[in-house]
Amino acid sequence: MSNSFKSARPDPLLRIDAVYKSYAKGAPVLRGIDLEMAAGERVVVIGPSGGGKSTLLRVVMGLEQIDDGAITFAGASYVTVTGRRTRIDARVRRSIGMVFQNYTLFLHLNVVGNLILAPCKVNGESRKTATARALTLLDRFGLAEKADAYPSQLSGGQKQRVAIVRALMLDPALMLFDEVTSALDPELVAEVEQVILQLAGQNLPMIIVTHDMWFARRIASRVLFCAEGRIIEDGPPEQVLGSPRTERARDFVHRVFHIGG
Amino acid sequence: MDFNFGLIWKFAVPLAQGLGTSILLSLICMALGSLLGLALALARSSPSRLLRLPAVAFVELFRGTPVLIQLFWVFFCLPLVLGFEPASFTSGVVALSLFTGAVTSETFRAALRSIGSEQRDASVALGLSRWTRMRYVILPQMALRATPVLLSNSITLFKETALVAAVGISDLMSVGENISNSIGRPVEILTTVAVVYFVIAFPFTRIVTLLEKRLLRKLAL
Repeated sequence: MSNSFKSARPDPLLRIDAVYKSYAKGAPVLRGIDLEMAAGERVVVIGPSGGGKSTLLRVVMGLEQIDDGAITFAGASYVTVTGRRTRIDARVRRSIGMVFQNYTLFLHLNVVGNLILAPCKVNGESRKTATARALTLLDRFGLAEKADAYPSQLSGGQKQRVAIVRALMLDPALMLFDEVTSALDPELVAEVEQVILQLAGQNLPMIIVTHDMWFARRIASRVLFCAEGRIIEDGPPEQVLGSPRTERARDFVHRVFHIGG
Repeated sequence: MDFNFGLIWKFAVPLAQGLGTSILLSLICMALGSLLGLALALARSSPSRLLRLPAVAFVELFRGTPVLIQLFWVFFCLPLVLGFEPASFTSGVVALSLFTGAVTSETFRAALRSIGSEQRDASVALGLSRWTRMRYVILPQMALRATPVLLSNSITLFKETALVAAVGISDLMSVGENISNSIGRPVEILTTVAVVYFVIAFPFTRIVTLLEKRLLRKLAL
């Protein structure tokens, strides 16, 4: 392992070592995931439903216990397993932001309220400066006029953009996007993808789970094909999406491009 | 047979005092009952059996027995437990608060369960501690969702307070009963008492409907 060319890269941002995970009932979801990700990378994860993509993101976000393995982030120990207990370092976790498929805005708070809750309550930032930052960010992403709106008054696309901005308020070093456009009406997909592209332009490292192959091709610096809880292919987008090496990946990419395209 | 509703004006003052007692009793029991209900709901959602089982037993006992019996039970048991005889108003407050606690715990529990797991996921992803999540995400949403049902509960409670007449508290019902017995005019007096209950309770039911429509739709809860 230590001699492979991957670990020769300087300081991986994220390093996942032999992570196994199963839910209380049913088959294992992750069966030995190894991954090293450098700070400049935009990793897109594709693969069939139930292949472990979302679980992988949830594990990286520290939302799930794991059965075995370890994760380090920026050189710091992040997720470890001793016996049957998973220990997740909450301090390290704060460097990671995540946007989900389902709308996860806090329904009882307006947009600004959603944005400033964590900065104020977790980082102890004052309401005033957090609000000022929130308004600046909203403005940058074309959401300024929605500052006082409640989530129910927003379209699906706006909700997801606000959710992205909410994560950005904490200045993450890594962003995770879990099928963030899957629940959207087709005409709303572009506005959300545009925001993610904007962040990619600022070199924010990200891991994206998506079924949108065109978007994947456009944004990825690296593509993983995940199935049955393993990473089956790992390479640059033109290779994994263009000429996959394995039969599984070839089948999948072919079907998705022809149905989804 | 004739009706003479004019005579009720002679009893306006005692009836109003009775109404005051009924309202006061409702307010106190609703407040105490809601606190108890919240505690019971949290206990019932706790992973610890030690908290869960007594809470379940309490709730099922008080939801499954007649309120009138609970009133008598507290009225006769409380002096034994306390070692002195409390005012009957106190017994009424204790009994109805326990009953309200059992009822509202179900309201809070339903509200708690209706909050999706994605709210927890988002909270964790934002780094909120367990306490911050509870205080700023879960409890406010639970309270909002529970509010219309709690108001409904309080209408029920307000009408239920009529039972305290049985343990000698001078509420609206008890005053009405006494007057009607002493002057032999049950129809006029009891009808008036019923109208008074209705006039208080009805606007509340309208408020509940309005709240459900406006507030909950606005927040899409």
